[in-house]
Amino acid sequence: MRVLLVEDYPPLQKSVAKGLREAGFAVDVTGDGEEGLWYATTNPYDVVVLDLMLPKVDGLTILRRLRADGRPCHVLILTARDTVADRVRGLDFGADDYLVKPFAFEELLARVRALARRAYRAKNPALRVQDLRIETPTQRVWRGKEEVHLTPREYVLLEYLAMRAGEVVSRMDIWEHVYEFNAEADSNVVDVYIGYLRRKLGRPGKPPLIHTVRGRGYRLGGGE
Amino acid sequence: MRASLRRRLLGWTIGGMALLLAVFAVVVYAAIERALAGGFDDGLAATAWAIAASVKEERDGIEVEFDEREMPEFRRPDRPAYFELWREDGRVLQRSSSLAESGLDRRESAVGATAFYPLALPDGRPGRAVILRFRPRVEDEQEGEDEREDERAAAPPVVPQLITLVVARETAGLDRSLAMLRWLLVGAGGGTILLTLLVASVVVRRGLRPLDALAARIAGIREDNLSAALPEAGMPAEMAPVVRRLNELLARLEEAFQRERALTADVAHELRTPLAGMRSTMEVALSRARAAGDYQQALRDCLSIVCQTQAMADNLLTLARLEGGQTVLRVQEVRLAELVEVCWRPHAPAVRARGIAYESRLPGDLDVGADRDILAMVLSNLLANAAEHTDDGGRIEIEGRSAGGTAELAISNTGCRLTPEEAAHVFDRFWRGDAARADTGAHGGLGLTLVERGVAALGGSVAVRVDGGVFAVRLTLPSPSAP
Repeated sequence: MRVLLVEDYPPLQKSVAKGLREAGFAVDVTGDGEEGLWYATTNPYDVVVLDLMLPKVDGLTILRRLRADGRPCHVLILTARDTVADRVRGLDFGADDYLVKPFAFEELLARVRALARRAYRAKNPALRVQDLRIETPTQRVWRGKEEVHLTPREYVLLEYLAMRAGEVVSRMDIWEHVYEFNAEADSNVVDVYIGYLRRKLGRPGKPPLIHTVRGRGYRLGGGE
Repeated sequence: MRASLRRRLLGWTIGGMALLLAVFAVVVYAAIERALAGGFDDGLAATAWAIAASVKEERDGIEVEFDEREMPEFRRPDRPAYFELWREDGRVLQRSSSLAESGLDRRESAVGATAFYPLALPDGRPGRAVILRFRPRVEDEQEGEDEREDERAAAPPVVPQLITLVVARETAGLDRSLAMLRWLLVGAGGGTILLTLLVASVVVRRGLRPLDALAARIAGIREDNLSAALPEAGMPAEMAPVVRRLNELLARLEEAFQRERALTADVAHELRTPLAGMRSTMEVALSRARAAGDYQQALRDCLSIVCQTQAMADNLLTLARLEGGQTVLRVQEVRLAELVEVCWRPHAPAVRARGIAYESRLPGDLDVGADRDILAMVLSNLLANAAEHTDDGGRIEIEGRSAGGTAELAISNTGCRLTPEEAAHVFDRFWRGDAARADTGAHGGLGLTLVERGVAALGGSVAVRVDGGVFAVRLTLPSPSAP
């Protein structure tokens, strides 16, 4: 899941980005409204965490432009403005959620997760594909009754595929939603991680979970 | 007891009314009493003259031709009047039958004139008497011309002797009339006062109704609806100024409250951001087991946030003291170039590293009369502001001159991206160019506010100008000699 964090207060930017990354999100960060708007309109973010008071372009303007462009990303406003009028205005501008500073990081994380789920029309925090079970809040994965231990990068990839279970997911989609903007541009990385996942999830005698659709990408479950 | 306007108005009205009525009653009473008594005395005098007219001096003595039957008042058994006639030698000539054996008091009096006096009548009733001393008419006998001629020739002419007459009459009727008059006046006066009290209290209550209405409205004002002004329309002309002043006071209060609320909201906002930073830094650090270096980094981050927040709290406190006028000024002669040099020193290395040119063209002998600490605070904030906002490779210039009792100092820097409209806000509390909070800490949006308040406390003025990317601050400060 790819997240854009637009926050101009350096300590907050640093800690929130770190926490989100550790929770398995691909996080792009900027402290500048203009840059934030450019990031948000050129990348398919699942969730945008948006401060309101920003240099150059303020948060509400970014929000309005995103909605005017028909961007589907889910926006969480993170601000110190706490009056009811402020919250109502933020939500009416097209925000999906509103969190007032200071906040509990756990809560921010849970809200970002909820918005990410909603990006794929999933309401259940537990994902199931055949006998594969993923608990998104704890990031634990089971195949049948046996728990599978994944690295954060493997997990993120699997979660994204599971969110879109049954669909063919292109390498580009994976690239855009799972990896950070600044990450090394090497599309082989996707194939490498798909290989890791196949190895960890494969069970002898059971049908494979991840299918390669030649020329189009990968599909988790479904099909045959 | 509290002085009540209503009571006072009523008191004065009733008191004045009573005084006027009393004077009026006394005058009326005196006039009527005088008229009644005059009429009474006239009656007494007329009776006395009538009796006197009936006394004749004849050759053979005095003859009283008075017949009591013509004046029954002297004979009636019930409440009679009295008269008594005396000769000059004191012998009683005649007295009214009502007197029986008793007599009347006499007074001294002039001949041929009447004098009046009060007395107790023989039967004890109060009365009033008239005394008249007169010489009776002389009457010759009607017997014939010749004889008369003879007698005139033979006898000396008759010299009438003095007769004293006292006529007394009871005054009960007069007293009754006067008593009635007194009661009438007192009753009418009292009644009038009572009625006035009633009418006046109604009038006063109605008259003061706008005051009550105003009081009720004022009572309804709470600190959160100060803007609801009192209606001036419908107020009597006398109260309109009071209402206007009250409204002005309310407006000022409202403004002060608004400022207070805005400040509270600002401070809350400014505190929330560093708190959020600290909390999130610590929570993320604690969310899993980490290497010691990671914790150290988190602690360092938190420490820097705390230092920034503390600086902001200090700035706010300084600001509150400056605005509250609690700062005691120790004005002294300050050499501007020297203090600018001291205040610039901490910024110099960083600025040099960014390739910014710094040039101070302050005259070495330019002095100002100012509190050194406050002026240092002002200059530090201005220089920090310049150091921070100048573009890399830009330029900071400082100039100064003395101008008629004041000293002027101008600090300008390149790299300003503010529009003139935005520049008008630089002195606002917590205002930051383009809402950036990236530089929260050093000034936290308070630096230039502190400058403005500080300069005001020093009796100077400060203005900013943005022109072609150059941000210029002009300070005007009093010269040392200036009072």
